[in-house]
Amino acid sequence: MEYLLEHSTRYQYAANVTLSHNEARLLPRNLPWQTCKNTQLNIFPTPLRQHERRDFFGNRVVYFAIEELHSSLEVTVTSQVTTYAPPQFQYGTGPTWEEAKALLAPGSHKHALAADVATLEARIFTLDSPFAKRHSQLADFARNSFSSDRLLIDALQEFNQRIFQEFTYQPHFTTLATPVLEVLENRKGVCQDFAHLAIAALRSLGLAARYVSGYLETQPPTGQEKLKGADASHAWLSVFIPGYGWMNLDPTNGILPNQRYITLGWGRDYADITPLKGVMNGGGHHHLEVAVDVLPQNP
Amino acid sequence: MSNLSSYSQALQQLLNSYASDQGRDELFNQDGQPDVRWQPVLQVLEELGLDGLAERHEEVQQLLHENGVTFNVHEDDLGQLRSWELDPLPYVIAGHDWDLLEAGLIQRSRLLQALVDDLYGERQVIHEGLLPPELVYTHPSWLFAAADGNQRPEKPRIIFQGMDVYRDLQGQWRLQGDWTQAPSGAGYALENRILLSRTLSNLYREAPLRRLASFLQAQHRCLASLASDHRGEPNLVLLTPGPGSPGYFEHAWLANYMNFSLVEGDDLVVRDGQVSMRTLGGLKRVDVLVRQVTDPWCDPLELSSDSLLGVPGLMQAARRGEVEIANALGVGVLEHPALSLFLPKLCQRLLGEELLLAGPELRWCGEEDHLIEVLNNLEAWQLYPIHQPGQLLDPKQLSLDEQQALTTEIRQSPWLFTARKPAQASTAPSFDARNQVLYPASINLRFFCLTDPEDRQSRVMPGGLAWVGEPGTPVMQSQTVKDIWVLAPVPQPHVSLLRQAQGPILVTRDGRDLPSRVADSLFWMGRYGERLDTKARLLRETLGQLLDDGQLPLETTLLPDLFTALKLPLPPEQPPLAAARQFIQLREWLMTLFTDQAVDNLPWLFSQFLRNSRAVRDHLGDDAWRVINNLRQKFNGLNGNLGVNSARRHLEDLLVQQAAFFGFCNETMPHHYGWRFMDLGRFIERLLSSLELLKLALVTARQPGIPLWEVVLATTDNLTVYRRRYRSQLHPSAILDLLLFDESNPRSVGFMLKRLHQQLEELPRQEGSPFRSQEHRLVIEASSHLHLVDLDSLLDIENSQAAREALQAFLDALLLPLSQLSDALAHSHFSHVEKPRQLVSLQT
Repeated sequence: MEYLLEHSTRYQYAANVTLSHNEARLLPRNLPWQTCKNTQLNIFPTPLRQHERRDFFGNRVVYFAIEELHSSLEVTVTSQVTTYAPPQFQYGTGPTWEEAKALLAPGSHKHALAADVATLEARIFTLDSPFAKRHSQLADFARNSFSSDRLLIDALQEFNQRIFQEFTYQPHFTTLATPVLEVLENRKGVCQDFAHLAIAALRSLGLAARYVSGYLETQPPTGQEKLKGADASHAWLSVFIPGYGWMNLDPTNGILPNQRYITLGWGRDYADITPLKGVMNGGGHHHLEVAVDVLPQNP
Repeated sequence: MSNLSSYSQALQQLLNSYASDQGRDELFNQDGQPDVRWQPVLQVLEELGLDGLAERHEEVQQLLHENGVTFNVHEDDLGQLRSWELDPLPYVIAGHDWDLLEAGLIQRSRLLQALVDDLYGERQVIHEGLLPPELVYTHPSWLFAAADGNQRPEKPRIIFQGMDVYRDLQGQWRLQGDWTQAPSGAGYALENRILLSRTLSNLYREAPLRRLASFLQAQHRCLASLASDHRGEPNLVLLTPGPGSPGYFEHAWLANYMNFSLVEGDDLVVRDGQVSMRTLGGLKRVDVLVRQVTDPWCDPLELSSDSLLGVPGLMQAARRGEVEIANALGVGVLEHPALSLFLPKLCQRLLGEELLLAGPELRWCGEEDHLIEVLNNLEAWQLYPIHQPGQLLDPKQLSLDEQQALTTEIRQSPWLFTARKPAQASTAPSFDARNQVLYPASINLRFFCLTDPEDRQSRVMPGGLAWVGEPGTPVMQSQTVKDIWVLAPVPQPHVSLLRQAQGPILVTRDGRDLPSRVADSLFWMGRYGERLDTKARLLRETLGQLLDDGQLPLETTLLPDLFTALKLPLPPEQPPLAAARQFIQLREWLMTLFTDQAVDNLPWLFSQFLRNSRAVRDHLGDDAWRVINNLRQKFNGLNGNLGVNSARRHLEDLLVQQAAFFGFCNETMPHHYGWRFMDLGRFIERLLSSLELLKLALVTARQPGIPLWEVVLATTDNLTVYRRRYRSQLHPSAILDLLLFDESNPRSVGFMLKRLHQQLEELPRQEGSPFRSQEHRLVIEASSHLHLVDLDSLLDIENSQAAREALQAFLDALLLPLSQLSDALAHSHFSHVEKPRQLVSLQT
């Protein structure tokens, strides 16, 4: 699929900002199943300094500093993204979840099977991170889908479905600060919450899961035209299958991400892939507007 | 000489009573004879005897206390004064032992450099399974932001590091721990060497021990050469967490010693990609930042977002090479205690060498078999929880429930726990001053290693800091520290360490590049010092009145007015008291000013004064600092059971010490901006309190009249001047002249305004501005009120209500602009920028 992606973020400050240092993780990365062309990042006011680098997880990061007095900040990214079919994971294949867990366990570098670099690198995603910490309640919740000797790929699909069915998508019920245990209790939240919940639950079982940030093409209700700026950022997760690679799950929609998903980047949780963060002097209260468009391009 | 029988009888006795009955003692060789390397020390022992040694011990403690490098800031400002003792007996290392140890330490340094380059670069050691990822990524100093794909950097990541060592019972050196982020103790090691060479000068001049001075010269050279790519004279700063941190005094000491500017996070800003220091003269670029702030707190943008100690944008500036940071950000991960378990293999892999120095006996719970071993016998181990830096848990000290909770925690995240078997170290002779005996003490040693950025060669300081305690005892918890001697084959020339190890002379410290924060602290140090002085003078006079009139009916005395001046309410109304009882009650009431911590009482004023002086420790001379230490001791010793006379003596002493302090400051501080701000603080405070006091005495008092005027003159120390000049009864017009208009009298308002005016003239101005600053205008406003007042209208205050009203209006007209002066100064010069804050992250 070909898309024109446009994501703009605008901050309006109550008081002037005299100096701000910022990091944007807004440039989508290239993947075997995704290529990005003509990617542009426009920042207003124009930063005095702007540098791009790759972070630990391979995401594209842009540092920028604005040193002139400003009362608003606008960051817009546009990119032509082509997506292909992501790697497929067949039912009935791969290791059991206990085998995967054993391969990912600390100290397992001693046995030969786990010596492959991908598994070693995946082990960081078994550890707690600020927004996705392991807990016995989360393990209990997940274990219903992870009966003994069950194949990991099968169990994950069921687990994905279960979150979709048992949880209600409800914007504004949670904030970024809502702990996953509360989400588990209330069974309500948004994509970010479901991704964090699933990640923390899988880590509680000893598996490796990471947070993926990106976009999803939405379809207008039949017979209506698609509204401008109506799309949104989306979040899902990716789970490591030793010997196979990373399998994507979208518990918010209960499906496995397909060509309609655009990947921005990933990390241990939201904190690693925050789209825009900054430290500034001045500013006072602020007002935020975000507009996202994922427009299919006719070939 | 190495035979016991060749020593005098007294020494033989001493050695016989030296009860080293267990383990291994450094004093003796295999034959049970004193080892030849201790000979110079034993000789001194022989000459001095235990009495002589006790004397020297006392002298050393005195010097240690006065120099203040060991000033312990853990406690309350006014809490128990505690610093460690410095043992006059050194820990002696023979030349051949040192060679082995030095080789091991240098190898360790090379290994850690290679390891950290790999960890923040290609991470081969993780990919090859040599180091478990759980160990690395859970350390608080592991910085994902520093692992940004940079390959091996041009410059070594670690310039200066500390390594803790002990000698086990088999005589093997064991490396107990590494300090890579903000190694402390080098300042203490130097200070100890300086003090001991002063106290035991013959011994230190003649003994064949390796000297430290050249190491420090090298350290300065290495740090300065980090900036070799930068143009011009490099600007080196030392970043400290501030006066609240336990290492602050060492930071100040080192900054002075090395001639760096001592800065806190707020003093720095990243603009145009560069790190700059906010100074009175504007921004000044920083080339090399020697940091004493631990990794996660250095940059609130990329690292811990709630850090108030760091500088937003610092990581990026370092990444771009706009500033060099020593040591590089992220190296703290090498301090992980469990790393030691993996070093033998890593040394083979990274250096192709056998590891020379073994570590202590450890288990890392991230390994299944280690975890089982530790949990099977929890009480046999001590635990480092890696997520709580600096903690060492001793399960033996925990209740059963707590042990249970700990076990659960370990099972939940085993990789966070490193277990250590309590170890035994060899002992060395130490002096117990209280009981006047030698005793065998278990010794920890800290050594310092320096890596030259140009050729990457490492060298170890031939000496260091030793402290008494079981292996692994934190140095701050030890009671006793020692000098470390490394013996040289032949006596080495004695090079004075005293402030000689500086590098090239840099631009003056006190000119326009004075950090604004320092100016601020000097100003408030002046104000609080002066307020303390005024309070003490008033209290002294009040106590005098109490002695004279304390048993008379209260309303007939000056005491109510003096209480007003002291801002102290009168004791609550009570049924008429017997005269003696009233006296006691008033005395107790006044004594609360000595003991109660409330705002504006003496202890509070002193702690404010101390806080500000501490923040500018590197701008105060040693003599001035000695006075502060004395005062601090005095305040510690105060209690409420003072008699009136002894309280007066205390106050007089306080006044003398305060005068000495500011005297030293005036004599030794360069008369640049820093000094001017201190002086402005003092004179603003003195002006305000003089005017308030005059207003009370002449206008608003309950009992105006001669006795009160006398008190005012005494409080401002003007009574003698007055008597000499007028030799007559007190008269208001003469008092007004002396205290307001006479510009030759240093305590007159006229004199003080002139002084403020002169000081303001010399402060840096905004370039190109033709206008007078707000603070200038305020002083001019007050001066013109003073000069233009119609004196005749004020003179008859004894009889005329109109004159009293005119005087009050006049004094108020002086007070109003002067009370705004402080804020105006702060606004113009101290540039208290708003604290940077986080942009709230957006949500999907």
